[in-house]
Amino acid sequence: MRQIKNTLLITLIAFFFSCEENYLDPAPTSVLSSANYFTTPAQVETAVFNIYDGIQGVNSTSTNDNHAIQFEFYLTEMRSDNTRTKSSEGESAQFENYTIESTNGIVANYYQSFYNVIYRTNIVLENLEAAGSKAVIFEAEAKFLRAYAYYNLVNLYGDIPLITSVITPQDYETSYTRKPVSEIHQLIVSDLTTAIEGLDNSSRFRASKAAAQTILAKVHLSLGNYSDAQKLCESIVGSGNYSLESNFKDIFYNEGNGEIIFAVGYVPDSQESQNFSAEWLNAVGRTSGVNYLTNDVKSALDEMGGDRTMYSYRIDSGQNTQNQVVKYLPDGDSSLGIAATSSDPTRAGNDWIVLRYADVLLLHVESILAGSDSTSSSAALTSFNTVRNRAGLADDGDAVITKQELMDERRVELAFENHRLFDLIRLGEAQNVLSAFASSIGASFTSSDLLLPIPQREINLSNGLLTQNPGY
Amino acid sequence: MKKSYFLLILALITTAFLNAQNSEVNGSVSGVDGLSIPGANVLIQGSNTGTTTDFDGNFSISVKSGDVLIVSYIGFLTQSITISNQTSLTIVLQSDASELDEVVVVGYGTQKKSNLTGAISKVTNEKLDQIGVARVDDALIGQVSGVNIQATEGEAGSAPTIRIRGVGSINGGLDPLIVVDGMVVDNDYLGSLDINDIASFEILKDAASTAIYGSRGSKGVIMITSKDGKEGKTKFRYNSFTGFKEAHQSDPYYFTTLEHAELERAATGSIQDKTQYKLLLAQAGGDTNWQDIIFDGGAINSQSFSVSGGSKRTKFSSALNYLHDEGVLLTDDYKKYSIKLKVDTKINDNISFGINLSPSVTDRTRFDGSTHDILRQPSWLPLYLDENTIKFVNRTRDKGKYANAKIGDYAVQRMFDDFDLANGVPMPNGASGLDISNTSNTNPAAKVLESDRGDRKFKTYGNAYFKIKFNDNLSLRTSFGGDYQNTSYKRWRGIEHSRKGASAAFLQLSDTNRFHMVTETYFTYNRSIGEHEINSVFGTGAESWNTEFNTAYGAGYTSDLIQTLSGADPLTITAGSMDYKSRLLSFFARVNYTYANKYLASLSVRRDGYSVFGSNQKYGDFPALSVGWKVHQEDFLRDSEVINSLKLRLSYGMTGNPGVDTGNDQVDNYPFLALLASSNAIIDGSAVTGFNSLNISNPNLRWERSIEINPGIDFGLFYNKITGSIDYYERKSDQLLLYNPISSTTGFNNALVNLGEVENKGIELELRSRNVSKENFSWSSTFIASHNKNTLLDFADADGQIQSIDAKRAAEWINQVGQPISSFYGWVVDKEIPTEYLKNPWHPIGAKAQDVYVRDLNGDGLIDDDDKTILGSPYPDLVWSFGNEFKIGDVDLSLLFQGSHGAEVRNMGDQYIFNHFNSGQDFNSSTPNQQFIKQKIFTDAIIQDASYIALRNVNIGYTFSDDSITSQLGISKARVYLSGQNLMYLKADNYTGFNPESINNTSSTTYGYQRAGSPVFKTISLGVNLEF
Repeated sequence: MRQIKNTLLITLIAFFFSCEENYLDPAPTSVLSSANYFTTPAQVETAVFNIYDGIQGVNSTSTNDNHAIQFEFYLTEMRSDNTRTKSSEGESAQFENYTIESTNGIVANYYQSFYNVIYRTNIVLENLEAAGSKAVIFEAEAKFLRAYAYYNLVNLYGDIPLITSVITPQDYETSYTRKPVSEIHQLIVSDLTTAIEGLDNSSRFRASKAAAQTILAKVHLSLGNYSDAQKLCESIVGSGNYSLESNFKDIFYNEGNGEIIFAVGYVPDSQESQNFSAEWLNAVGRTSGVNYLTNDVKSALDEMGGDRTMYSYRIDSGQNTQNQVVKYLPDGDSSLGIAATSSDPTRAGNDWIVLRYADVLLLHVESILAGSDSTSSSAALTSFNTVRNRAGLADDGDAVITKQELMDERRVELAFENHRLFDLIRLGEAQNVLSAFASSIGASFTSSDLLLPIPQREINLSNGLLTQNPGY
Repeated sequence: MKKSYFLLILALITTAFLNAQNSEVNGSVSGVDGLSIPGANVLIQGSNTGTTTDFDGNFSISVKSGDVLIVSYIGFLTQSITISNQTSLTIVLQSDASELDEVVVVGYGTQKKSNLTGAISKVTNEKLDQIGVARVDDALIGQVSGVNIQATEGEAGSAPTIRIRGVGSINGGLDPLIVVDGMVVDNDYLGSLDINDIASFEILKDAASTAIYGSRGSKGVIMITSKDGKEGKTKFRYNSFTGFKEAHQSDPYYFTTLEHAELERAATGSIQDKTQYKLLLAQAGGDTNWQDIIFDGGAINSQSFSVSGGSKRTKFSSALNYLHDEGVLLTDDYKKYSIKLKVDTKINDNISFGINLSPSVTDRTRFDGSTHDILRQPSWLPLYLDENTIKFVNRTRDKGKYANAKIGDYAVQRMFDDFDLANGVPMPNGASGLDISNTSNTNPAAKVLESDRGDRKFKTYGNAYFKIKFNDNLSLRTSFGGDYQNTSYKRWRGIEHSRKGASAAFLQLSDTNRFHMVTETYFTYNRSIGEHEINSVFGTGAESWNTEFNTAYGAGYTSDLIQTLSGADPLTITAGSMDYKSRLLSFFARVNYTYANKYLASLSVRRDGYSVFGSNQKYGDFPALSVGWKVHQEDFLRDSEVINSLKLRLSYGMTGNPGVDTGNDQVDNYPFLALLASSNAIIDGSAVTGFNSLNISNPNLRWERSIEINPGIDFGLFYNKITGSIDYYERKSDQLLLYNPISSTTGFNNALVNLGEVENKGIELELRSRNVSKENFSWSSTFIASHNKNTLLDFADADGQIQSIDAKRAAEWINQVGQPISSFYGWVVDKEIPTEYLKNPWHPIGAKAQDVYVRDLNGDGLIDDDDKTILGSPYPDLVWSFGNEFKIGDVDLSLLFQGSHGAEVRNMGDQYIFNHFNSGQDFNSSTPNQQFIKQKIFTDAIIQDASYIALRNVNIGYTFSDDSITSQLGISKARVYLSGQNLMYLKADNYTGFNPESINNTSSTTYGYQRAGSPVFKTISLGVNLEF
């Protein structure tokens, strides 16, 4: 009996110890460990697709999620003379009144979202070896998207940290040293040049040659390199891949149409949906309405919009003293012949257009204008009138395009598409226009309001390494 | 001759007479140790005559021959002595061993209470099953020192928050470890247990006691022992109660239209248009008390039946339980069904076997809405339209939105806008008129009534063991067990739920299956050599947890007729699934040493390996040492008549906390790896899958650790008339898992590291006294008090971090070293803004100003961040309870008062219910000193005192005595009782809500946030206990 008991004992103990080796290392089955990943071109491509997911942003109401491009309108349109909040509610009211605080959550969210996009591009760039034959395309794609992220960040925040590889939390110097705008521009130019060489125009939702050329043209224009910009625009026009939609409404409601150069895709009623278009309406999203028209832009559209006006804004049916944006309506408008894009408007499927052909045509005019006050060049007039004609307007009356006319045309063509603020800055008119606008609404505008504050959180964590923009 | 006969007869008569008379008997009563026992009861059996012994243990009583004297005293076995012709008696009473040598369950074994060197509190289930609550943890409120149980969510079946000795972690788990009949189960299991089947709770509080659970012990351990069978006749037991619950409402949150109109008239001399219209509506439809609508009360009913018994070799116990709690809120409900089967049998003299099986089902329906949203609705708004209120609906406004409104529809505030007050009808033809609405939301009660949210859990607990006794000293026990849980969760929102109508209707389903298996084997070695006694345990164990989760979602419902996915728009249906595993491997050993029954020492160690931690850190060691001295066994205290028991003890131990709680299950189970999860982008209209990094890897991630020192005193005075204990503890928790914030330029906002440190220091006091103990009247009291001070010692780069929970109402908390983990932060109120500066202070009803004047603390003439300061702490300073038990003949009465003092709560409910954000409450441009005005939510205006004093339990019962009907029916014990919970609940003066214990978000760094929440409720129930 004793022997049996003893053997039983020993077997039990042995049983436990023999399993020890792998027992405490169960491999995860629903997620991957990056240690063994990124070894084939298909796997590297998943990292490329991941970058586009980063730009899409998360459709949620949580402040912890990266909302990326879904929050962009707050920082661009609402800081220009185009839009405002309907009822001056919450943090968003800081934008229209030029009273932005460094603790503003939307400012911090955009900063962290786009540095996360840059992180995703750097992962691809560090794993190009495994991409084999596709290395050239992936490099071009990743660099385009990195340049696009830096382009947005540098225009909004000024000098920013320059991150060109995957860093760890211990890389304090890199994380908290603000490089001058000129250095950031150098990276953007170099990245876009690589992108242009490696890409073609086969997709409107992935990086394309034309998209890279458009952004590069904008950078050249802001640096004063007008002839470089002009060549880039002409190359896009000459490619024959893009043309204006005959009906202005179709640009926004005909997915993947021929005018789009680069857009961010969304799918309705799913996790890949967006909620910014719901926020632009009264009592549809969580706010009571943001990105509402200012009286200023309403007059501009009424006077100069042509056919575009009715597809740019409408009167708010719930509050008829207010006006809402019509581009990207999630719940449709039967009087305008627009169908709803989703059954739940806070999970809309309207794709967001980043760059389109009309923008390129007007950039062409800008490059020919080359910083002077007017031009009568026939090439410029052709591009300018193409845009006007599509809007049902006659050619430019006196065959001379002034800088003001160009600004107005850009404003009514691209209203509410997050271009106005950057246009004003690039054309050097931001200070005049916005201080006049600010006085008209009873706010005050100084030159320090041209830049957003670096998020307070970053300043606090940097223990003195990071400096803040003036005025904050 | 005649004379002698007469004398003889006289003598005989006298003798007989003398014999028939009572004679005085003197006696003394003492214990086995020779010490006399004062206050012992001496009673003549079958009569009401009796006496008690005096201070020297002596008594004197008048008896007849043949009387039986019953001598008794608590703590001793009762003796009976038949009187023949003694005149003096010396009575020696034997100690009642079960009382003084009460046994306590510790991890992997039991110990005599008198030999414990750690801080362990035992609560025996005497009347805990008569408290009208649905869960076993709710029944423990106020029973144990150092344990704070707070009803943070009041829905039927919701778990209360249990904290033992304060909050010792920031991102790790905070709940104590739950062990049922020796097997570790997860905290959720507390909702499925049947309290009628529980024999006792042992709460291990200090590190030396919990170190035997090593890596899981730092939050304390609650050990639950279920009832066993006993040798003898089979016993049947039936317990049942039925009760009614009703919410305690809040007076500050109750408004009537008439009162409001009178206030306005008194202040301004007249009432404005809006108020006149509101009065019309209120007169037509009556005032709506929204608290009455959502706190609809409910019934609670419990039925429990058990059978137990056994023979010399086999014992069994089985129990059936059904509980239904209708909950105090509208739509909440909780049902529980459970069965237990337990058998212990001796296969032969040396081998025994046992099995314990317990399946249960719980079915919970939630209250799917927010009380704050509903309670801020005005009193003039009816719930449904009726024939009186329908004529106020404006059918032409907003493009005829309400053209089809009919009687019985939900009333919506906007329906009543655009009114023509002069003519007393709604404005026709869509014309503008008088508006009284302050929101475009749909009827708030509709949100709750038109949605269905709940979960059903099926659980099975099973445990089997073998015990082999080798000889008198050594035995082996091996067990194998586990629990399986399936949780089925459903959330449905109907088409009338929100202002968005059918487009917001959806169904969300999810299913979680969790398998937990555990096997443990340990030896027990006990040996006595002379004065030395050793009890030791050493063994090993392995556990694993496998969880599978799947979910499905569908939307696009056009009606409420089909509420399954088959009724959803197929294009909206999405599904997902995932799984994860974790494993634990342990080695443990403990030695308890006693010398001369006076000097005690205990040493234990546990080594745990956990799969969640990095390869460099998988194992952790958790040692503990404690010592004790039974001073009353020493010669100098042996003869004391005051102190009959005194034990000094000191313990020191190290325990761990493994819980990683990042909100992402995959990161929680594999946090040391750099994980990739799939992400999707939309290219050319279709989805493409990418892989995204979830976290930054940290192979050095390890346990959180707690080191605790606990000196304590246990004492018994006046023959255990007064017993108690005092404990002081200091617990430092370090290597805390922190989400250390890092620069977003890394691509992440934070990285999980072990860097934080928190300290909890406190004192616990337990005092029990037997005030009176006579045959027909006894009274005993218990007083328990605990004080805990929590301090954040190290928060790495996040020291001074300021956080808020809700971006729209960004009130702040600060986590600062030297203060408790989280403190409320903001400006200090100076004074209210006078009503003459408010734009329209009389609309809506009950509204209060959003803003207030705040103090310029640094005197620089501006209000900015430098004027912010710590406004209060969400943790209580003192938690106490005071209980009294009376027994008067066959009637027993018990009362338990419980209170908490010093905690504060950030009552955001005020902002909603007093409509702060309505623009009418804004100050106008002529208000002076506007630079000193800030919104109330950023100040201490909403930091209110969360202290309370409650009459937690009252229980009056009557036990039917043996001689009546009961014994004829074969019933050995019958008792009926009336039980009441929270009959009295006193809140602090400055607290406006209805439940100071309710907490909306229990994260450690932003603790104490309340948004109305669920109410405190009182329950009155009638119950019966039968044994036969």
